Amino acid sequence: MSKVIFLIKEALVSLRRNILIVTGAVLAVFISLSLAFGALVVNEVLRVNTVAWQQGVHVIAFLNDEDQNQVPSGAHATLQTQVEQWEEVLSVGYVSKSEAWLEFQEIFANREELLDIDPTILPASLRIELVDIAFHESVRFRLEQQQQVVRQVATAADSIEQLQNLSNVLNVLGLGMAIVLGLSAVVLIANTIRLAIYARRDEVAIMKLVGASNWFVRVPFLLEGLIEGLVGAALAVFAVWLGSTNLARAGEGFVLFRLDVSEQWFLRWGLLFLVFGALAGVIGSMLGLSRYLRDADGTGPDVPTGF
Amino acid sequence: MIRLENVTKVYDGGTVAANDVSLDIQKGEFVFLVGPSGSGKSTLIRLMLRDEPVTRGKIWVAGKDITTLPRWKIPYLRRSVGTVFQDYKLLPNKTVGENVGFALEVLGRPRSMISPQVDQVLDLVGLSEMGERYPRQLSGGEQQRVSVARAFVNRPPIMLCDEPTGNLDPKTSVGIMKLLDRINRTGTTVVMATHDHAIVDAMKRRVVALDGGRVVRDEESGRYERVTEEE
Repeated sequence: MSKVIFLIKEALVSLRRNILIVTGAVLAVFISLSLAFGALVVNEVLRVNTVAWQQGVHVIAFLNDEDQNQVPSGAHATLQTQVEQWEEVLSVGYVSKSEAWLEFQEIFANREELLDIDPTILPASLRIELVDIAFHESVRFRLEQQQQVVRQVATAADSIEQLQNLSNVLNVLGLGMAIVLGLSAVVLIANTIRLAIYARRDEVAIMKLVGASNWFVRVPFLLEGLIEGLVGAALAVFAVWLGSTNLARAGEGFVLFRLDVSEQWFLRWGLLFLVFGALAGVIGSMLGLSRYLRDADGTGPDVPTGF
Repeated sequence: MIRLENVTKVYDGGTVAANDVSLDIQKGEFVFLVGPSGSGKSTLIRLMLRDEPVTRGKIWVAGKDITTLPRWKIPYLRRSVGTVFQDYKLLPNKTVGENVGFALEVLGRPRSMISPQVDQVLDLVGLSEMGERYPRQLSGGEQQRVSVARAFVNRPPIMLCDEPTGNLDPKTSVGIMKLLDRINRTGTTVVMATHDHAIVDAMKRRVVALDGGRVVRDEESGRYERVTEEE
């Protein structure tokens, strides 16, 4: 127990005594993890928006009026039931002629000249949401086979598909960036801590000389790395959260694109980044120390050769 | 206590620092390793401490073959061997008391035991008033006393000293030698590498002379001069 207290005390004293080097290490973690976390937030914003675009009506089938042109009464309901059973279809909504007129009035409320039309010319329609946007061609084809009832088929799927492709590319890029920046964070942290240890290599050699075991030497450095990684990661998460929240507030007026990221997402990934920062600090310390511990055992090179 | 059997050490660059050295050092002996620079004195000290691996041969320290010692056991060897170096090797960020106490901290001794032991050994080396000072606030002689105190605080059966008086003036050197003599009289085996003629001649202890990595003379109550005559 006294050994544990001694080692923790050693780490804290060392953090205080080497404040400049410690600040450098914390800044290295902060900068690299901010970039990685920022890339991940951008990726999440893209994902949320892609999902939003994918939801909603994908295909609209405008229908011929019932009881006219050989369209029997009840044909709309029959078609709706039929379409609902297709496996490509998630849901089907029916908009009657009168509902279509209400919708028309709502859409063109500011353009009175357009409202001066015969409401009966507006067709009833089926609003179809697909299981996957990729099915739009086959659903369109199947609807067009129903020539007697279906007047015209309209779909926004092409545009959505293009947006989706673009979003997929951006998603991969964002994720790739986050991974690359995350890895470079580990390297940067490892190097900074290694420099810090290099500055104290004599200390390590003296500790080994009086019989300190590798773990006895290692633990204070690992604790230091852990604290540096944790503080740097916490600063990075806070900075990105602050930036993202302010940006989302500024972009509240946007209709097509949402900039906000949910609190739960931030909490989950923020915690993960804290763990990542702490681990990066510990791994960085271990990598940085291994060389000097080897040298001090008399099993390394005769003369340390720097980096 | 220490036994070297046909020990050879060749460094990476091809330099032969120890060449077929065999040596037996009994418990409680005081042995000087003498010889010119590059004769292999420091290398022998480092080999006995497993600070360097041997190229060939065997070394036993306190009954253990340290040439085959696994890496994780090296700290245990070093805890039973006190070391004193020319450049003191003190931790600059620790006080005198903390430097001495560090050798006990690595053993996991409780704080209640460390403090009185540190006080006792600082008293022995005549630095009882300086426990709170940092190494930079001390003279060379005082720093070497701290180094001796750290080496002895654990009461090791063996002390290895590599040129402990190399950086000190003659008067201060005499003080350090008196200290090492006192420690030796408690039964601790002392092996000291030096090229200080006056000290070796005055102490009249066993002298092992080295030249080019070979033992060229091994005398009880020896003197330094014969080495120079042979050169």
